[in-house]
Amino acid sequence: MRLVASLTSESTRQDFVKEVAKMQGGKNILDCIQCGVCSGSCPTRFAMDYSPMHIIRMIHMGMKEKVLSSSTIWVCSTCYTCATRCPRAIDITTLMMSLRNQAMEKGYVSESKIKPKFYRSFFDIVNKYGRLHEPELLTRIIEKTNIKELLHVASLGWRLMKKRRLQLRAPKITTSADLHNILEKIEADKS
Amino acid sequence: MKYAYYPGCAIHSSSKEYGDSCEAISRVLQIELDEIPEWNCCGAIDAIYSYKPLYSVAIAARNLALAEQMEEDIVTLCSACFYTLSRTNKLLQEDSDIKRKVDEALGSAGLQYNGGVKVRHFLEVLLSDLGLEKIKEKAKVPLTTLNVASYYGCFLVRPPELANFDDPEHPTSLDELVEALGGSQVSYYGKIRCCGASLGVTDEKIMLKLTKEILVNAKDAGANCMITACPLCHFNLDAKQRDVEKRFDIEINLPILHFTQMMGIAFGVNTGELGLDRNCVSPKNILAQYAEKVIQ
Repeated sequence: MRLVASLTSESTRQDFVKEVAKMQGGKNILDCIQCGVCSGSCPTRFAMDYSPMHIIRMIHMGMKEKVLSSSTIWVCSTCYTCATRCPRAIDITTLMMSLRNQAMEKGYVSESKIKPKFYRSFFDIVNKYGRLHEPELLTRIIEKTNIKELLHVASLGWRLMKKRRLQLRAPKITTSADLHNILEKIEADKS
Repeated sequence: MKYAYYPGCAIHSSSKEYGDSCEAISRVLQIELDEIPEWNCCGAIDAIYSYKPLYSVAIAARNLALAEQMEEDIVTLCSACFYTLSRTNKLLQEDSDIKRKVDEALGSAGLQYNGGVKVRHFLEVLLSDLGLEKIKEKAKVPLTTLNVASYYGCFLVRPPELANFDDPEHPTSLDELVEALGGSQVSYYGKIRCCGASLGVTDEKIMLKLTKEILVNAKDAGANCMITACPLCHFNLDAKQRDVEKRFDIEINLPILHFTQMMGIAFGVNTGELGLDRNCVSPKNILAQYAEKVIQ
């Protein structure tokens, strides 16, 4: 990793550290002693570009762009092993969720990528019905030009269908208007 | 014993057999589950939280408010719902700014939440409110031929601020349940390792690798079945087991039971009520001697 080449100015560095410290999960970010327990415990480390320990150090160094463009934040499976074991009580798992949110809000990731698409579709479906409709989520995010993937998903669908585990009809609640009111109010309060 | 039952989306769709078997054993144990009317999705761990954190808190809070009207603790079968609802409860207690915003939002739907609801996992309710001895009394059929690998996964035991009824590193509750019902517990590496969760939808290769390790370790340690306490873990370990086999070119064939299904068999519940025919990896061979009419 070429950390040195990416050093940022002191004020930029501090800005990002402060920003992260305010996020959910970011509270004790400066307490990290780089012991690596998080990275050693992480079940998806093998698929990340930077380990969780590196991500924290990169935050200390103000490397906003690299952190929010990393694969790490998307590969995290949210299992809470790192946060449970951290000797400095840093809630890394919750922080990863907050960093994903920031990467999407600040445009560090294309909306067409699978994870942002997954989150957006998940919300749209819950907003529409009040509950998740699994087949709709799958059909929304699947890459429709990829025949191999289509066949793969179709085989899972068929397997579930045979076992009566595929719920074709959407599960609408009758008071979804309440849910819309709640979300509208939350949105209005933000501005 | 009466609880505000929060099934969660998976139990109404791809894991119906988990809900059915839970209801069946609850009848035996005289536990009353009042389904929260008009409950909505909990927000599903990071799904809505990563998209818009406050949306996630607000929609989960609606469920808490509905349960508060019933004056009962929330009980859920899903570890992910258990985590998401508990997290929301804690956030609302600790963050006055979020609490104020959520209160106003709930108010616009004529609801309020005063923080009076406890969120609990069904397994914890069984062990704390009823206890293993009472469960043992109802067990008619000792599960002597079952070598069970208990899979705890993540949110049943972590983070410990929210899930604190078992040890986060060496949980034993499911293993104790297995022994109480006459089965043998299998020690294996991976009982608290993540199955890959929703990466199964967005980055399947990673999920298949994680799930494979859990399944292979359990099998190598001598398990002839596995039990789970979460519909998402069950989905990856059971419904996607064939994908694991295909990707790694191995044979696993390890039946995965919801822990409620296992209890139902020990209680002598009619297998039709346990939804065993919905399990993708058929448990027929390992269960044949316990029930006359086990699944096709």
